[in-house]
Amino acid sequence: MNLAVYIGRRVLFLPAMLVGITLLTFVLSHAVPADPVAANLGEQAAANPEVVAAFRHQWGLDRPLPQQYLIYIWRLVHGDMGTSISTHQAVTTDLGQDLPATVELAFAAMLISLAVGIPLGILAGVRRDTVVDQISRGGSLIGVSMPVFWLGLVALVVFYAWLGWAPSAGQLSPRLSRPPAVTNFVVIDALLAGEGDIARDALSHLVLPALVLSAYSIGVITRMMRGSMLDVLGEDYVRTARAKGLSGLRVTLRHAARNALLPVITIVGLSFGGLLSGAVITETVFAWPGLGSYAFRSATSLDFPAIMGVGIVVASVYVFANLLVDVAYAVADPRIRMG
Amino acid sequence: MLPRPFVRSPLAVTALAVVAAWLVAAAAAPLIAPFPPLAQDIARRLAPPGPAHWLGTDPLGRDILSRVLYGARISIPVGMAAVALAVLIGTLVGSIAGGVGGSVDEVIMRVTDLMLAFPTVILAMIISAALGAGIRNAVIAIMVAWWPSYARFVRGLVLAARGREYVEAARAVGASTFRVFGRHILVNIVSPIVILGTLDVGHAILTFASLSFLGLGPPPQIPEWGSMIASGRDYLVQWWISTFPGVAILTLVLALNVVGDSLRDALDPRLRRL
Repeated sequence: MNLAVYIGRRVLFLPAMLVGITLLTFVLSHAVPADPVAANLGEQAAANPEVVAAFRHQWGLDRPLPQQYLIYIWRLVHGDMGTSISTHQAVTTDLGQDLPATVELAFAAMLISLAVGIPLGILAGVRRDTVVDQISRGGSLIGVSMPVFWLGLVALVVFYAWLGWAPSAGQLSPRLSRPPAVTNFVVIDALLAGEGDIARDALSHLVLPALVLSAYSIGVITRMMRGSMLDVLGEDYVRTARAKGLSGLRVTLRHAARNALLPVITIVGLSFGGLLSGAVITETVFAWPGLGSYAFRSATSLDFPAIMGVGIVVASVYVFANLLVDVAYAVADPRIRMG
Repeated sequence: MLPRPFVRSPLAVTALAVVAAWLVAAAAAPLIAPFPPLAQDIARRLAPPGPAHWLGTDPLGRDILSRVLYGARISIPVGMAAVALAVLIGTLVGSIAGGVGGSVDEVIMRVTDLMLAFPTVILAMIISAALGAGIRNAVIAIMVAWWPSYARFVRGLVLAARGREYVEAARAVGASTFRVFGRHILVNIVSPIVILGTLDVGHAILTFASLSFLGLGPPPQIPEWGSMIASGRDYLVQWWISTFPGVAILTLVLALNVVGDSLRDALDPRLRRL
């Protein structure tokens, strides 16, 4: 199968996947016993039948479920995700404001995980069963065993309350105002507006949550890279390269590490989903105004349009990330396309 | 009973001792806890760790050591129950997919694809928010979010086992489909399923603590580690409120992960490199 056909088939499968995602989100958020009327109007208003009927009618809750779903899909195709019951704004507007903050956080955390995890994994693989290997194994085990919300609180206690190195929670210092919204990425918007101070302040607020969020994926990537290196170091071509008299460093980096990176690409794609999960929790600790905080608020108030919006966006991001990973993999390793 | 490479590893034995200590703490909490977990002593609220309260007290003057010990009584059974339920459903669905095959398999696999597209915590958050906060609903949420990955794993095992000679032999002598499945396939795939499930208990405890931290677990007065950490959020200076329940989660989950890893290494040396 050639590359274009492989990618084409994967892309053709996307719409079906996206419809499935909307259906699943819809079923999950509607086939539940909880009552959005009580959650959004309060017990007192929920006792008044007229108010309840008006509320149900306003949000389309009085129609049969299949009809509600079809109406939802029809609007979704036209770029309308409905209106959030609690913020009274279009869900697309809410998401447009909150998604960039989460992407900023997840992207920074991913960069940190790659920058730490890959070299550490290579080192641990090459120096197998030495102190370096033991430390990296222990470190990555601790990374995956630690509650991310707890690590966040401890980081705030140590670096903000005790040492004063890190700024307080939030995306910007309270004395600064957000730069004019262009992309809704605060750092980028600040740079576009030529506000160097704001950009620096936003970056300094990003460091601690991103470090905390990366703890888990550093562990996963280090272990994966180490295992992959051990596989590759036993291969014939590595021995051949050594036999040709190439230097140890050159063999490690040019021959072994490049090939060992392949399986790690997959893990990077998969751990992006984990990063989004972690971001939800990290955001609540660091008062980060992102998708996680929005998801939490809407889930607890049974704000169905908002919940569905979050679910669809997050799952789509995940599906697209995996598609990119598969394509990257197929480009890098022709054997995949044959399968 | 334990494999020899496991017993010879000091790290694995230490980890096993830590897990055992937590099990004892959970079982004996009413006997060893210095105070009742709900007893409030407003005069001593926010007391730092000291001789009277070894790990300090929380904003309501409750003893943190006692609450941490009682917390094990919730986290450990919840982690085990959530994994056991997810494994049970995953095994059932995965066996049907792998055993029946064809369009049934195709449909089941696409559904699991979809479920796996949702980050666990977000899926669990939606479910437990919709069902209402509480221990039972948090367990249900973790189970719903996790069964698809077990289903895929079991399906793979069933497919692999189906092609083996002993299964063909059983078919050839006229065993019924159910007998082949129950007596020949299931018994041969059960141990990898159990190992994977054991490896995941720590992860389940972490996920439950996260839901509880978000306010989707038991009510706040119940001594549960995740919600205890949440109660320390507004008291950064009184670091002990959230630090010690976190240390409890970290030590238990870390020990469970080390035990699981070492057990897997000892039972299957081919996996050692991971």
